[in-house]
Amino acid sequence: MVEASQEMTQDDHGHHSNTVRLLGRDITVEGGIYTVVFGGLAVLTVIEVLSAEFLKSAIHDAPSAAAALTAIKAILLLAIAIVKSSLVIWFYMHLKDEKRILAVVLLLPLLIAALSVMFVLAVPPTGYSI
Amino acid sequence: MAEMTANQLSAPAHDDHGHMSAEEHNENMKLGMWLYLASEIVIFSMMIVGYVLFRINEPDVVELAHSKLGVGLVTANTFVLLASSFFMVMGLRAMQQGNRAGMLRWIGATALGGAVFLAGQYIEYSELAHLGITLGYDIESQWQTFGMRFYAPTFFHGAHVFVGVLWALEVMRRGAKGRYDKDPIGIEMFGLYWHFVDVVWIMLFTLIYLV
Repeated sequence: MVEASQEMTQDDHGHHSNTVRLLGRDITVEGGIYTVVFGGLAVLTVIEVLSAEFLKSAIHDAPSAAAALTAIKAILLLAIAIVKSSLVIWFYMHLKDEKRILAVVLLLPLLIAALSVMFVLAVPPTGYSI
Repeated sequence: MAEMTANQLSAPAHDDHGHMSAEEHNENMKLGMWLYLASEIVIFSMMIVGYVLFRINEPDVVELAHSKLGVGLVTANTFVLLASSFFMVMGLRAMQQGNRAGMLRWIGATALGGAVFLAGQYIEYSELAHLGITLGYDIESQWQTFGMRFYAPTFFHGAHVFVGVLWALEVMRRGAKGRYDKDPIGIEMFGLYWHFVDVVWIMLFTLIYLV
C-alpha cells in the first residue's frame, strides 16, 4: 500500500519534500507525498468503478450467486472507500502529525453512528411480531 | 476567524498577561474545527443510514435507479473533487513555503474544482428530474421514496461544496493581502473543511452510486 511504505525524508513531517520513499524506491515528484496520495486516490477510484461494473455484470449473469456476489461487492467497494478516506484524513488532513485527541474526536462519532446503524438494522421494517 | 495579530504571533508560550502563544492558539483552532467536523459526521451519518436502509429494503428500486443514473458523469465529478482536495493541500504547502502567488493559484484551482463539481451535480439533478425522480412521495411511482433518500445526502453535501467555494474565495482575498504570510492557520482551517467534504463524497459516491 502507498501509505504503508512511504517514509518522510525531511523535517516538518516531510510536507515540503518532493522525494517520497515508496516500496523501497525513492520517487521524486513535485508535491512529494501529496502527489503520490492523489495518484493512489485516482487509481483506487478507477479500480472501484471497474470492480462495481464487473460485479454488476456478474450478478446479472449468475442470478443463483447474486446474494453472495452482492455481499462481496458491498464489502469490496466499502473497503476501498475506507482506504481512500483514510488516505485523505491521514495525509491531507495531517491526522498522522496531530495529537491523538483529534483521532478520538473523529472516531467517537463514527463509533456511535456504527452502533446506531447496527441497532436500526437489527429491527425489521415491520417490527418484531411478539 | 483564522487570523492573528503580529503581537500574538510573537508572544511567548504564556506571557505575563496570560495570553496564549500562537502555537496554542492554532492548536485550539484545530481542535475546534475537528469538533465541528465531528458534528457533521453525525448529521451525514443519519442521512447515509436512511439511504442504506432504503437500499436494503428496496433493492429493485435502487437497481433501477442505478441503471438510469449511470456512473460516467458522477465518476468524472468524483475525480474533480479529489483533484480539488489535492489542489487545496498544495495551496497550504505553497503558503508554508512562503509562496503567496503559488498559494493563490492552488486555492483558485480548488475553488474552480468545487464550482465544476456543482455544475456537474446540477446536470445530474436535471437528468434525474426528467426521469421523474423528485423529492415528492408517491407510492404509485416506481421510484417511491428514492428521491428523498438520494437528494437529502447529495444536496446537503453539495451545499457544503458551495460554502467551501465561497470560503476558498475569501481565503484568496485575505491571502492576497498577506494575511497568511506569517501564519497560514486560516488556510489550514479551510483545508480541514474542504478535505472533510471530499471524504464525505468518497463515501457517498461508493454507497449511493456503486454499491
